[in-house]
Amino acid sequence: MQIHHTDVLCIGAGLAGERVAVEAAMAGLNTIMLSLVPPRRSHSSAAQGGMQAALGNAIMGDGDSPDVHFADTVKGSDWGCDQEVARIFADTAPIVMREVAHWGVPWNRVVPGKHTYYKGGKPFEAEEKAEKAGLIHARAFGGTAKWRTCYTADGTGRSVLNTLDTKCLQYGVTVHDRMQAEALIHDGETCLGCIARCLRTGELVAYLATSTLIATGGYGRIYKATTNAVICDGGGQIIALDTGLVPMGNMEAVQFHPTGTVPTDILVTEGCRGDGGTLLDVNLYRFMPDYEPDKSELASRDVVSRRMTEHMRKGLGVKSPYGDHLWLDIRHLGEKHITTKLREVYDICTNFLGVNPIHQLIPVRPTHHYSMGGVRTNRDGAAYGLKGLFSAGESACWDMHGFNRLGGNSLAETVVAGRYIGKRMVEYTKGATPSFGMQYVDDAHKKVQERITDIVTGRKGKENAFKIRDEMHDIMMECVGIFRNGKDLQKAVNKLEELYDRSQKICLSSTCKGMNPELSTALRIRGMVKLAQCTAYGALMRTESRGAHTREDFPERNDKDWLNRTLAYWKEGASMPTLEYEEASPYYELPPGDRGYGGGVTIPNELPPEKFVIPEAAKENLKKAKL
Amino acid sequence: MNASTITLHVPQRSKIAGRMDFFQMASGVLLILFLWAHMLLVSSVILSPSLMNGIAWFFEATYMAQIGGPAIFVLMVVHFILAARKMPFKQDEWKTFRVHARMLQHKDTTMWLVQVISAILILVLGAVHMFVVLTDLPITAAKSAARIQSGWLYLYLVLLPMAELHVGVGFYRIGVKYGFVGRSKRKWFQKTENVMMIGFITIGLLTLVRFMLLNIQG
Amino acid sequence: MNRMLTLNIFRYNPLDPDSTPRMQTFTVQEYDSMTLFIALTQIRDEKDPTLKVDFCCRAGICGSCAMVINGRPGLACHTQTKDLPAEITLHPLPFFQLLGDLSVDTGSWFRKTGLQIEAWCHSDDKAFDPTAEEMRMDNDLANEIFELDRCIECGCCMAACGTARMRTDFLGAVSIMRVARFYLDPRDKRSEDDYYEVIGNDQGVFGCMGLLACEDVCPKGIPLQDQLGIMRRMMAMHSVKGVLPRPLIETIKKKGCCHAHAQS
Ligand SMILES: Cc1cc2nc3c(=O)[nH]c(=O)nc-3n(C[C@H](O)[C@H](O)[C@H](O)COP(=O)(O)OP(=O)(O)OC[C@H]3O[C@@H](n4cnc5c(N)ncnc54)[C@H](O)[C@@H]3O)c2cc1C
Ligand code: HEM
Ligand code: HEM
Ligand code: SF4
Ligand code: F3S
Ligand code: FES
Repeated sequence: MQIHHTDVLCIGAGLAGERVAVEAAMAGLNTIMLSLVPPRRSHSSAAQGGMQAALGNAIMGDGDSPDVHFADTVKGSDWGCDQEVARIFADTAPIVMREVAHWGVPWNRVVPGKHTYYKGGKPFEAEEKAEKAGLIHARAFGGTAKWRTCYTADGTGRSVLNTLDTKCLQYGVTVHDRMQAEALIHDGETCLGCIARCLRTGELVAYLATSTLIATGGYGRIYKATTNAVICDGGGQIIALDTGLVPMGNMEAVQFHPTGTVPTDILVTEGCRGDGGTLLDVNLYRFMPDYEPDKSELASRDVVSRRMTEHMRKGLGVKSPYGDHLWLDIRHLGEKHITTKLREVYDICTNFLGVNPIHQLIPVRPTHHYSMGGVRTNRDGAAYGLKGLFSAGESACWDMHGFNRLGGNSLAETVVAGRYIGKRMVEYTKGATPSFGMQYVDDAHKKVQERITDIVTGRKGKENAFKIRDEMHDIMMECVGIFRNGKDLQKAVNKLEELYDRSQKICLSSTCKGMNPELSTALRIRGMVKLAQCTAYGALMRTESRGAHTREDFPERNDKDWLNRTLAYWKEGASMPTLEYEEASPYYELPPGDRGYGGGVTIPNELPPEKFVIPEAAKENLKKAKL
Repeated sequence: MNASTITLHVPQRSKIAGRMDFFQMASGVLLILFLWAHMLLVSSVILSPSLMNGIAWFFEATYMAQIGGPAIFVLMVVHFILAARKMPFKQDEWKTFRVHARMLQHKDTTMWLVQVISAILILVLGAVHMFVVLTDLPITAAKSAARIQSGWLYLYLVLLPMAELHVGVGFYRIGVKYGFVGRSKRKWFQKTENVMMIGFITIGLLTLVRFMLLNIQG
Repeated sequence: MNRMLTLNIFRYNPLDPDSTPRMQTFTVQEYDSMTLFIALTQIRDEKDPTLKVDFCCRAGICGSCAMVINGRPGLACHTQTKDLPAEITLHPLPFFQLLGDLSVDTGSWFRKTGLQIEAWCHSDDKAFDPTAEEMRMDNDLANEIFELDRCIECGCCMAACGTARMRTDFLGAVSIMRVARFYLDPRDKRSEDDYYEVIGNDQGVFGCMGLLACEDVCPKGIPLQDQLGIMRRMMAMHSVKGVLPRPLIETIKKKGCCHAHAQS
């Protein structure tokens, strides 16, 4: 087996992975980045809308500041986030946007003078200030008090990813694409790297690293209808969970996006609504103002998704062979706006739906979109349970999103966390004196090899991987969706337990020399069922409604009992996860309160006064973060 | 890289590639201009043989034919040398391109093949033609008619469409390659070029007909 | 109009010494709004799980799924079956190294080429000041740059280019367009001389023969033709500085399509 040595190993080459890699490489560390696909194909490239940062250049963002951004983020999270992290995020986001601008991101800029913008489908005029000419502009996104979403037309993820990738090229980051991490190498205390499977040849390769980063993005593929790419299978979370030592945080917090298209589940950006798109029902009636008079279509995603589902349940959805849906109307924005600022949307509609959004309505329904949960890390991005293991981006539960992340906050998180955690990783790596016991490499290698042999020979059973996947999809869609209840969740937990058992007995239905694509699926299913189970079980146990987690049988947000974060461990040999809980935030700069949208009742928590004080250490750290 | 090979890797700041490309384009442009002028001369016979004789006499008297003729020949050779760098002389290059063109069914790609094939034919037939004409100066309508009626017609029937195709496609390609014709004007330019090509071939054919019908005795 | 689709798919596994290139036929029932992504996924899930084909975003934005569809390079996920005849022939992209069946290695080529043309903004990264305002930029220029950043590196343009097929060291339209992107960008401090060094040769901008298949197949509609033209003219004019009179060079530079914001 081939063995590579490196200082920093980034598993994942999306925005988070690349930003960390750039930081490490700029600090002179030897850096290898693994990815299933060439870096620029990572799913970050699909993000259209933009990144939130309180630059306050746009007239509609006038008076914005990191404080307002921080408050929006905490409210959005339904007070489920770690407020220290949310603070680091909000305060450094503007710096990071300028930094990537320095590196080459062509952000859209302020054009001074009068402009027509849309809010709730109605045009209004605003005058951009002359003194802000040429600074980074911003657009509106749901759940924010100010317009603060920086964007490049509707290809923000693409252009930022391209730019970071150019820096990886420049600073000599070694990229191994088509390389799938299969297991972490660790000695029970420290992470030493990973075993990966080459998707060109099918061979196993070992990577030994002083510090290892998991930045593998989301795991949306545990749902059938998801806006996530087909490679978003949770590979990173799985290898962390498989160690039995590293917990997943808040797996029950799953976001559904209001505007997945029907039938392909491809996302059309929130920018559509931000720019003034409206939602209509079967009678072409705009229903959102009835539910949310203030924010209407621009309430936070969990709220809009729920309202849409509620409305469809009243029988006001549009019937189609692919199930009920609603309409998104952007016709009034006009041809010029749609073919320039929303061009990607235009392309998606014409190419995948056969709909021309300039003249026609777009069929949409809430679709799985984002996983707030993931590898639980501390403030510095270090994973719980293993030294030398870090995580950043969607794969992590750094936890600035709590139970609902705001649109534009996750893309921003990837680079903001990437920069901050990258610096912490560099510190760690430079201070560490690693010793790589070869027996741990062999252990990890043997484990992976044995699983492969099991699957290829079918010596453990004859289960079909695709079948198990489909059954998992069905149960997740049916029972662990937008609205949840105890009965359905219990059903899901039971079913997933059965599927987990069967997933140990998978056997390939095909043979093929070298790289067999079926093996990739087969290897992943067991872990995906685990992630699905963490989600379902966490949701079952959390008997309250918070952010995106909505229990019909427990409609109130219960701060008294549930102002906390779920930690799901999967102990060696267990058939179910073990749940533990930790406090949601070390302190509450913004005391738990009402979000101002979504309605609902809160059962308050009597927090001791010291919980509202920002510790000196946190202030010091924040100062350092801004350098 | 070590000390013994480093001398081979000193970055070459040579501008030769750009110049060659520029002069390939420039030679093409000059040849186009020449061929248009040439057309004017020859096809003036349609209006009247004496007009053609007059123009020919003018070129002769100003020594433009005597010097210009060989100069054009040299230009053609230069053009050939420059353009031939792009030609698929290797068997596998040629085959790859042909297979590729067949797969793609793409007009501009196919037209390049036409350009290459026509180029070879022009090289041979054009050289013969120039030799014959230039070794038998002065140019008169009568001599030309005699030549054409004595069997040279067939050469021209091949050379004419080949030359026009080559020039037409070359004209279009210069516009495209040097960005004089952008995406928005491409369709328009293609159409214009087609019209011109057909126009020139028609005039050429009419000229040939006129030569065939010209009374050599008179 | 639920047709029965016949897909003839190229099969070859270079890792298997017993495998020989061949065509294999599958039939698939067509549905409304069906794309080749759906059809191929169905084949892989239900008929032959060994079929190697790359999909990632399935939304036409990542560039993974480029292949030759009835003779034309294009994105499979971006192609609706209703736009195709009932008989569909699929080949892997030529030009790139074949990994198996419909899967080719575009990633390695793009990385190698990116290094060759030094595809990054050449500016002083150390000079970044976290407390300072960002450099101002005209919004039109930002849009113009983004227009070229939209490339998804699918490789269709390379596969469609006859020049690239004949001369495998040709950098292709995509690389020249990429250089144009940096050429446009005031943050990139390279001089014309520097740009000339990376693409001023027959592997670069002067290798292009204006076949325009790149322009015609690019699924993202990147203005390749315009960028090729601009870069060729700029580089050629740069090479004849001192040979031709300056005013002539300036006039030629300004003719036809040009960067509204091009550097002087
Ligand atoms: C359609 C869509 C639109 C979105 N729009 C927005 C938006 O407008 N604003 C916003 O803020 N957020 C948006 N998001 C969310 C945001 O894009 C993602 O959260 C973010 O891009 C995740 O980035 P990442 O770097 O964490 O992961 P990714 O970009 O997903 O990268 C994951 C990387 O990990 C690699 N990888 C995965 N598994 C393995 C393995 N086992 N071994 C090795 N490598 C592996 C992959 O190859 C890839 O390189 C959107 C999401 C979607 C799906
Ligand atoms: C002697 C025989 C000739 C040969 C072998 C020849 C060959 C070629 C070839 C191979 C090209 C394509 C170059 C490329 O695509 O980069 C070309 C282009 C061209 N040729 Fe010729 N040619 C010949 C004669 C002529 C003549 C007589 C004319 C005009 C009267 C002419 C006009 C052009 C033009 C205008 C172009 C386009 C220039 C360019 O693309 O840069 N050629 N020629
Ligand atoms: C300086 C060089 C040239 C001279 C003096 C010249 C002169 C002539 C003359 C006098 C004729 C009339 C027919 C004849 O007398 O046989 C003729 C016809 C023709 N020449 Fe040339 N020629 C020259 C170069 C070329 C070249 C380079 C080409 C091709 C690329 C060319 C293509 C033709 C064609 C196609 C005809 C037929 C005309 C028609 O049908 O209109 N000539 N030329
Ligand atoms: S330029 Fe177009 S065809 Fe070429 S790689 Fe980019 S997106 Fe694909
Ligand atoms: S197809 Fe090739 S030759 Fe030039 S115009 Fe496009 S790169
Ligand atoms: S799968 Fe991403 S472009 Fe087709």
